[in-house]
Amino acid sequence: MRRRLIRYVGASMVVGGLLAFVPASVLAADAPAKITVNLFQAVLIGLGYYLAQGPWLFGMGFFTLYRPLVAGFVVGLILGDPAKGTLIGAAINLIYLGFISAGGSIPGDPALAGWVGTTLALAGGLDYAQALALAVPIGLLGTVIWNFRMTGTALVIHYMDRKAEEGNLGEVARANWLYSQVYLFVLTFVPVFLAANFGTQFVVDIINALPIWVLNGLAVAGGMLAAIGIAMNMRFIFRGAVIPYFFLGYTLVVASNRSISIVVIGVVGLVLAYLHVYFVGTRDRGSAAAVTSATQAAAREGM
Amino acid sequence: MTASTGQTSGGKLERSDVIRSWILWTFFSHASYNYERLQGGAFVHAMTPIIKKLYRSPEDVKAALKRHLVFFNTEPNIGGVIHGSVIAMEEQRANGADIDDDAINSVKSGLMGPLAGIGDTISQGTITPILLALGIGIAGLSSVAAGATPDLGSLTGNPLGALVYIVLESAAILAIGYVMYTQGYYRGRTFVTDILRSGVLDRIITGASVLGNLVLGALAATFVSMYIAVPIRVGATNLNVQTDILDKIFPGLLGLGLVLLTWWLLRRGWNPITILVIYIVVALVGSFPFFGPAPNFVTDACGSAILQPYGPCSPPAPAG
Repeated sequence: MRRRLIRYVGASMVVGGLLAFVPASVLAADAPAKITVNLFQAVLIGLGYYLAQGPWLFGMGFFTLYRPLVAGFVVGLILGDPAKGTLIGAAINLIYLGFISAGGSIPGDPALAGWVGTTLALAGGLDYAQALALAVPIGLLGTVIWNFRMTGTALVIHYMDRKAEEGNLGEVARANWLYSQVYLFVLTFVPVFLAANFGTQFVVDIINALPIWVLNGLAVAGGMLAAIGIAMNMRFIFRGAVIPYFFLGYTLVVASNRSISIVVIGVVGLVLAYLHVYFVGTRDRGSAAAVTSATQAAAREGM
Repeated sequence: MTASTGQTSGGKLERSDVIRSWILWTFFSHASYNYERLQGGAFVHAMTPIIKKLYRSPEDVKAALKRHLVFFNTEPNIGGVIHGSVIAMEEQRANGADIDDDAINSVKSGLMGPLAGIGDTISQGTITPILLALGIGIAGLSSVAAGATPDLGSLTGNPLGALVYIVLESAAILAIGYVMYTQGYYRGRTFVTDILRSGVLDRIITGASVLGNLVLGALAATFVSMYIAVPIRVGATNLNVQTDILDKIFPGLLGLGLVLLTWWLLRRGWNPITILVIYIVVALVGSFPFFGPAPNFVTDACGSAILQPYGPCSPPAPAG
């Protein structure tokens, strides 16, 4: 048992180590002037989107590859320009900064926007703001994939019901980690592979046909859409006695002419969090509502 | 259904059994995610090594599998404390303790909702946006947002931003998941109750909200932007609405207003997609060159449209 564990950990470390060393070698090369997507690269990009949705990578796909920042970096690696890819991924990530998937519902699909958006943007030679605006409709399309996944996988559960009735431990486990993945793989790999393989020229043609004012409009939209992601996150924490800290954060940044590092903000935030909890305490019912209901639930169960 | 059937079940769980269960859970918590039972299939999968070890008669295995193949949904990392507690309960039950299905089910269903709320606030609501913002900043976007890089073609970006994010995020999330899962097992149900009653979690949530709000404010100021391009003619000169008026009052005023407006609309129940479509339409209409040729970059003279991309611009000198 322990040896198997060590093998798990060892394998993860090797994969992680490889991931850490690959970019250094690719970075050294000069970025090609014009990026095209060949069949093999399209396969890798489709595979990447599947991994973002799938359970492999220690379950960290949702926290890493699912985010456009990371997706952009990996697409950039695949297409030979990781620096530009990371930049575009970061731009697309702006509207999903506040992304929260709760209770199985998602407001758009950051991963599809990140993987397909970066691919099309790199192949189409778009700048970061145009890529952002392009990624918005793609992210919305992603909810279709999500709904197919969430509906279709219920079949696997009914199969598990039957096998549980037989007391078949192995099949119940396999249904969860293997059979569900066959469906998810088809659902995620195929559309992204097709978009990466056949979609790029189409998008390049469209972008080239657009007048400058439309491209400018998309760039303006890029600056505005970031507000939606941030506001969506604010719904959860912008309440009660902690509201002033939002305005303090905003003011700190504009007062420094937007040059202050987010790490500095983070340190200031930790200090303020300590002081707030120490002096004001947790009297703010708003943010602590979840804890209160948890306490009540625990009390109800007689724990 | 009552507890065990005597000599065919029981036994002591090893540390490695719990860790094995955690590994199954952290890998496959959303593998069979679906609208009918959400993480139900993954919960029973994570329990398979425990069930295998504790129960030997087919009836007990069958009952245990069915017991855990029900609706379940929580935040997978903070919520791992539920699994730990349930593993401890299953162990006691298999060894003859009087713990029935209802007791186990009520721990699961009683805690999964609240811990989902707490867990999402901490992992998806605070840790992830902060680290993403750090990564995005390193990736090189903040210089764009500040309008410091007018030539977008020369902008390259920095892959380190993505790597730093991957390492820090995975480390933070995996550490939380591991600690919650194993502590849930070792300290049992009382662990959850003790934490909740002691107010530690209350303080963590409040502290996280302070940090989260400060960071969100900073992100809004860095990445949300709106620039007015159309000048006001005052006497013989063009007055730049953006740099001469709005920025003199409070730099980034429009962006702040936009974020607060969006928040207010969302609170009133507006669909984010509706808001998104409206903003795109506003941006396109605002960029239509009503008053002259459209500018290419920040350095171009502006004044042909209402809104300006990339950063504040300077209006042309008045013609006559």
